[in-house]
Amino acid sequence: METHAGRHLRTVRRVAQKGCLIKPSKRISRRFTSIHAGAVADNHSSSTRHRLTPVTPASPFSRIPTLRSFTSTTNFHVAKTSGLSSADPAFTTVSPDEVAHFNALASSWWDPQGPSRILHLMNPLRHDFIRQCRASVPGASSGSYPSTGLRYLDIGCGGGIFAESAARLASTSFVTAIDPSPEVLNVAKAHARRDPALACKLRYQNTSIEALPQPANPQQDGYDIVSVFEVVEHVANPATFLDRVAQFVRPGGWLVLSTIARSWTSWLTTNVIAEDLLRIVPRGTHDWNKYINEDELRRHFLQSKAGWAEPRVMGVIYIPGFGWKEVSGSETIGNYFFAVRRLPE
Amino acid sequence: MDALKLTTRRVRLSPLNICRSCNRKLKQSPAKSYATTSQPDFYDVVCIGGGPAGLSLLAALKANPITANLRVALVEAQDLGKLRSWQLSADRFSNRCSSLTPPSADFLDKIGAWSHIQRDRVQPYHEMQVWDGVSDARIEFDRTPGSATNGRTIAYMIENLNITSGLLKRIDELSGITTFGGARVENITLGTETEELDFREWPIVHLDGGKQLAARLLVGADGANSPVRTFAGIDSKGWDYGRHGVVATLELEGNGWAGDDMKIAYQRFLPTGPIAMLPLPGNRSTLVWSTTPQHAASLKNLSAKDFIALVNAAFRLSSVDLQFMHTMSSGYEGELAWRLQHTRFNAQAVPQNVVGVQEGTVASFPLRMRHADTYIGERVALVGDAAHTVHPLAGQGLNQGQGDVESLAKTIDYAVSHGQDIGARMSLESYTSERYVANHIMLGVVDKLHKLYSIESGPLILLRSWGLSAVNAMRPLKGFFMQQAAGNGTKLF
Repeated sequence: METHAGRHLRTVRRVAQKGCLIKPSKRISRRFTSIHAGAVADNHSSSTRHRLTPVTPASPFSRIPTLRSFTSTTNFHVAKTSGLSSADPAFTTVSPDEVAHFNALASSWWDPQGPSRILHLMNPLRHDFIRQCRASVPGASSGSYPSTGLRYLDIGCGGGIFAESAARLASTSFVTAIDPSPEVLNVAKAHARRDPALACKLRYQNTSIEALPQPANPQQDGYDIVSVFEVVEHVANPATFLDRVAQFVRPGGWLVLSTIARSWTSWLTTNVIAEDLLRIVPRGTHDWNKYINEDELRRHFLQSKAGWAEPRVMGVIYIPGFGWKEVSGSETIGNYFFAVRRLPE
Repeated sequence: MDALKLTTRRVRLSPLNICRSCNRKLKQSPAKSYATTSQPDFYDVVCIGGGPAGLSLLAALKANPITANLRVALVEAQDLGKLRSWQLSADRFSNRCSSLTPPSADFLDKIGAWSHIQRDRVQPYHEMQVWDGVSDARIEFDRTPGSATNGRTIAYMIENLNITSGLLKRIDELSGITTFGGARVENITLGTETEELDFREWPIVHLDGGKQLAARLLVGADGANSPVRTFAGIDSKGWDYGRHGVVATLELEGNGWAGDDMKIAYQRFLPTGPIAMLPLPGNRSTLVWSTTPQHAASLKNLSAKDFIALVNAAFRLSSVDLQFMHTMSSGYEGELAWRLQHTRFNAQAVPQNVVGVQEGTVASFPLRMRHADTYIGERVALVGDAAHTVHPLAGQGLNQGQGDVESLAKTIDYAVSHGQDIGARMSLESYTSERYVANHIMLGVVDKLHKLYSIESGPLILLRSWGLSAVNAMRPLKGFFMQQAAGNGTKLF
């Protein structure tokens, strides 16, 4: 059987030949290092060493985030693109090594028994969460804010698990789904062709959020739901990224995201158990350093930005053989959904 | 005619799950390139088989506002017009009856079909008498004061045609279901890839006459020899019991020992298989006698008088005496009268004497145990007999099918409300995981019961007799069995 790491490397090479990537990314070689430690032992650039440290957090109780609190370290994760300012048109929060990683996963994206199974299983909860968010606001379904004809923007749509499902809902009028990885997006487009119900309601675009034209009049062309599922832990500069994303939300609409809290438990479950031991998540999917805590998101939207309110959170836990379950309070230790509403004008 | 009439109606409906402009595109583009081949119509659910399971599923989907917008089609080989107008006089009953548990009846009520069923032809029963034909050990599920089932209905005896015609009326009332009655499925293939769409995973049902139906989800409610199951490549394992079930509609000398308000179901385990008499309205009962194919064949050829004598004998005489009577060629009545003088039994513990058999109702069918390896495939789901065939001794076949349908309808509801493709295997997983083990246990228990009671001598008889007597003596345990029989027992899974 082919190992994930082997597959990554081959894809990275393939991508490199096509000119999408210049060389195998540091991150993937680091992952590879962890398997064949001896072979690439001399690969100790300062950034690699720096990234490796959090794998052994000092204490289970220390809230490491103080140092790299999400709001205070907006440029913390700016990796290869750090030479550009966010105003620069070439600026992107897309991490090339992340793109390479997901390119490698493209072919198995829709295999129900494949490496993305756990994402497929999580998908219904996303809809439950969005429904709960929308229902939690008084008068949400009345005239001023629609309960049908909803417009979705799915950022980092991957193979289209959420985008397809959103487009199928009777309450949806249209879904725009974007992803920077061309290979993954090809898989998404090919898969959508299997369902005639999607053709009119779902449009894929191979772009980063920075390259997507911003709505001129958010009230009219903004989106009722802008979703960023399992993405912020993969982008290079989450704060800048979310600020950009926020501009696409129609006033009265919701920004919905899901990610993983940076805690001892999440390091143990997502990196060690899920990726290394059980192998239910492809190796190299997660970088624990990029995980963001719920309080950081909350602070970012409610304190650092104006016009946002009604934060919602739902912690979920995956139990192998049983599926995803909502567990109240678990947002501080592992996977969670977060939503915040753009105040109506 | 049915199909024709409804097809024209359907054409006018705009397809619900495909937007209008797309559908126009779908219809136009292939038509240009393949002018001679007819193009399939797209449906969200195509159900093959209009038995109780298939009809219940369609009614359940249409009765639920969440799934009501799905485009659904029914394909049934029988003429639906006949079923729609099914009517029998009050003193005549079809020979194919089922014991419908209260949860199954509740489900029919929930989907709005119960009110369309001819209620005066349905007989609730409140007591069960089950005994060992070799040792006479007996278990009585009765109306003991204080017992959990006091005065409650254990199950309803109902003609299968009463269920299906009621369901069909409900489906007509709901409208929006395309029905192809009297339609033969010629073939099921996989779709092809066009420039715009990829139907390589979609089953295409080819009907005689050239009609093609593309199914997002193809439901096999098409019986034990399910063509849908064959198409999906799902294997079905099990065995034949080497027994036939003989059915008949019987007339008894009275309305039962306890009258109309307290009807009793009887079952006696004979070494050749169980014989059951289940109450219908008034002085009628339905017979299900599992026996060897030879006995079944001779029973079918007997005169009414001899048949009646043999049925009465089967509930009263010792199994040795009965075995002897099977070898006779005439004179059953006299033989029975003579042997009864020398047989001790409590007349009130067996069914009242059979005095008549409704003409043309004696029939038989082979008994089998089958279980499909799985109930789902990509864009395929199996329900009812297509998924499992059970020995009729526990009267669970139809109820298992209703349980399947309720579960599948729930699975589809969840898929629709969460934007899943209802045909994707992943969306269907919860259906198979919810039903498979439950059905498997039922199949296993019924199978073991059959085998246990096929034994004529040896220590197992003592053990099974002790088992029945012991269960009979322990009220809480009896209550538990009773609850299981009524289908409202503790949920094991």
